[in-house]
Amino acid sequence: MRYAYFPGCKIAHHLPAHGLSVEAVCDRLGIGLERTEFACCGYPVRHESQDAAVYSALRGLAQAQSLGLDLMTPCKCCFGNFQHARYQAAQDENLMQRMKDLLAEEGLPFPETVRVRHLLQVLDESLDAVSQAVTRPLRNLRLACHYGCHALRPAAVTHFDDPLGPTIFERVAAATGAVPLPWELRLECCGYPLRGRDESISDLLMAKKLASAATSGADVLATACTYCQLQFGQGEGRTIPAVLFSQILGLALGLPPEDLGLAPDAPWLGRLEKE
Amino acid sequence: MDFFSAGLGLACLSFVLGFAWRVHGRPGSRLPAASEQDRRKSGLAAGLVDIILLRRTLRTGKLRWAGHTLLILGFLPLLFLHAMDGIVTRPLFSGYEPTLEPWQSARNALGLAALAGLGLLVWHRGRRLRAFSRVQDWALLGLLAAVLLTGFVLEAAKMASPADFERMVADFFPEADGDEFIALQAHWARENGVRFERFLPTAPEILEQGRELHEDRCAGCHAPTATAFASRTLADALPAGAVLPRTMAPIFWHLHVGLAFLVLALLPWGKFLHPLASPANLLVRGGRWDSGFPAAPPARNLALEACTRCGQCSLHCSVAPSRRVLGNVDILPMDKLADLRSWLDRSLDGARLADLVEGSHVCTECLRCTQVCPAGIDLQDLWISSKAALSEAGRAGVDGEIRKRTAGEWAHELASRRLGKVGASGSGLADHAESFWGCVQCTTCTGVCPVVAVSTDPQRDLDLTPQQIMNYLRMGLKAQTLGARMVWSCTTCYKCQEHCPQGVPVADILYELRQLGARTLRHRGKP
Repeated sequence: MRYAYFPGCKIAHHLPAHGLSVEAVCDRLGIGLERTEFACCGYPVRHESQDAAVYSALRGLAQAQSLGLDLMTPCKCCFGNFQHARYQAAQDENLMQRMKDLLAEEGLPFPETVRVRHLLQVLDESLDAVSQAVTRPLRNLRLACHYGCHALRPAAVTHFDDPLGPTIFERVAAATGAVPLPWELRLECCGYPLRGRDESISDLLMAKKLASAATSGADVLATACTYCQLQFGQGEGRTIPAVLFSQILGLALGLPPEDLGLAPDAPWLGRLEKE
Repeated sequence: MDFFSAGLGLACLSFVLGFAWRVHGRPGSRLPAASEQDRRKSGLAAGLVDIILLRRTLRTGKLRWAGHTLLILGFLPLLFLHAMDGIVTRPLFSGYEPTLEPWQSARNALGLAALAGLGLLVWHRGRRLRAFSRVQDWALLGLLAAVLLTGFVLEAAKMASPADFERMVADFFPEADGDEFIALQAHWARENGVRFERFLPTAPEILEQGRELHEDRCAGCHAPTATAFASRTLADALPAGAVLPRTMAPIFWHLHVGLAFLVLALLPWGKFLHPLASPANLLVRGGRWDSGFPAAPPARNLALEACTRCGQCSLHCSVAPSRRVLGNVDILPMDKLADLRSWLDRSLDGARLADLVEGSHVCTECLRCTQVCPAGIDLQDLWISSKAALSEAGRAGVDGEIRKRTAGEWAHELASRRLGKVGASGSGLADHAESFWGCVQCTTCTGVCPVVAVSTDPQRDLDLTPQQIMNYLRMGLKAQTLGARMVWSCTTCYKCQEHCPQGVPVADILYELRQLGARTLRHRGKP
């Protein structure tokens, strides 16, 4: 398996641990990552301009298609915008033509065939191999899996999982030996999209989710999206720690915490040792 | 006061005044302090390596690196050993004369290296950076090339100049009689390329006499002009028998020296400062590629000045596709930096300030410009801090503008305007009755909305609920919805749309309203 790796804009500066852990995990699992210089997926500019958001996404997809690879991203918002852009273009002839013209000016094809995969989907597709690669099952770890909106909804556009009763995250999480728990607000928004726009509502949404995750009895809130992790990282220490799923999987694969961008003294890591 | 002293004086004055103006006011102090300052020590050695080996320039391309290396290796020795020979070379090397070896051949080799470097840089700019280039980019390359080329022409003209020959003989061999003078002329014409107006004898004994006189009187200060290989080639390229006007050497001397003074005078302006500011910035950065160190005001001042306008940041910018669609040059780092500098100097307003604000908000803070910048500028720190400073100054982008007024005030302003659809053609969901036909006002969208759920009084906090917005749009009251807090505080989770039993694309419509608001603001005040 080889994918055009699309880390998204926020990893390099704001969340390097995500990139580090995703690359370490893929390396261990033999998932090949082709690194090419991608631009933004277009999700952040979607509030301002449909054309800019759609073009940014299609350009990235066209780059992946030119490499002859499917695109893989660890970010739900990137994933969602890629799917959304293609859907929008297919819905609107004029938009499609404008996009084709812009792509043609850069010598790029319209990306008809390239598939967009989220890291969870890639792992889910080879779940047996993932289970077999686990050398350190995390049996003591109880997880509250947080889904992230932009991959899940609208399902008619994103085709990620059942929008009302998704199971993909729990399936993949269970492969690490950890115990995913049901919890009330697992499909709700983390609130990051309102950062810098409506801080008070963003804070309220985050606090509500963290409280819900904490009452489920989970040890950590597991995320699989750069933005969600950035959001919950701001609530660090309040109720329940938020941890990137790629880091959790990395531990199960026997990778040392430092290779995953984890502080070796993070309190929740103590859970793994208890019997 | 002669031309040289006056020119040098004026150029130095311009440099000092310009430099003072450039650093005055310390604009970096108008940016908010970094929230958490990284106190790790910078590596002085790594910074020096960056400067000496042009390591960061190499990362942006071998051609740019080769161009810069050749230019610097050629130009710096010329500056110190040739232009400043009176205070550097003469005291350091006893018996120094610019017309002796190795100085003559070295000068030619260094000049050619610098010209070759300039050639590579011009070619690179024309090929890859044409779209980003402004007058000053070409002006710097052009002026340096002019200084070097006039230097070669000056040297060639002096070689060929009978006037210079006569002046030298008058100074250093005043007792020469007529025959001796002619013999020496014949030798210099034949061996050193001087072009005399009159025909000179070629008899071997006269040439031999000239050679002896030359050895005795001239050779102590004059190596054969052929060692100045480029200039001599240039001089010899003239058709045989052609005589240069006697004013040629003085004219080119004034041009060469005048242009050099002009470069010195322009040094504090625009990108002309980068040969000083960029290395200084690299030293301060100490070889670091990440952001946040050091973010103190003096470091930011330097960062704001160190741009070489090389365009690499703009070539690699993550939001370059948005720039292509939106057309705003301030979306790309290089131009945004220049406008940020102006804004901090309080000399930016109107449409350009609006462009800066938009560019500042479209930026995704991906760090790539910081990592690619050959001058090591911590652009990421400038973008994050300037976004905060702009918001502080009441320029918080589309969201901030909308939130300055109530939904009612927006409705009043927008009621009389044709709002148009979203996108040039747009899917225009909010304008199509089909989008809402199915809506039966069942309130499911409002019921599942997490934003409505965290509000104790949605009417007060959000103006309208999602299902009310759908109802307003159904009635054609788009202007009434555009300023509603619900539209701008939608968290885009798509629950409303997923749960709508009638398939109304509620979240897409809210997106569309925000895009319409952004476009309305972009065009506000523009015809």
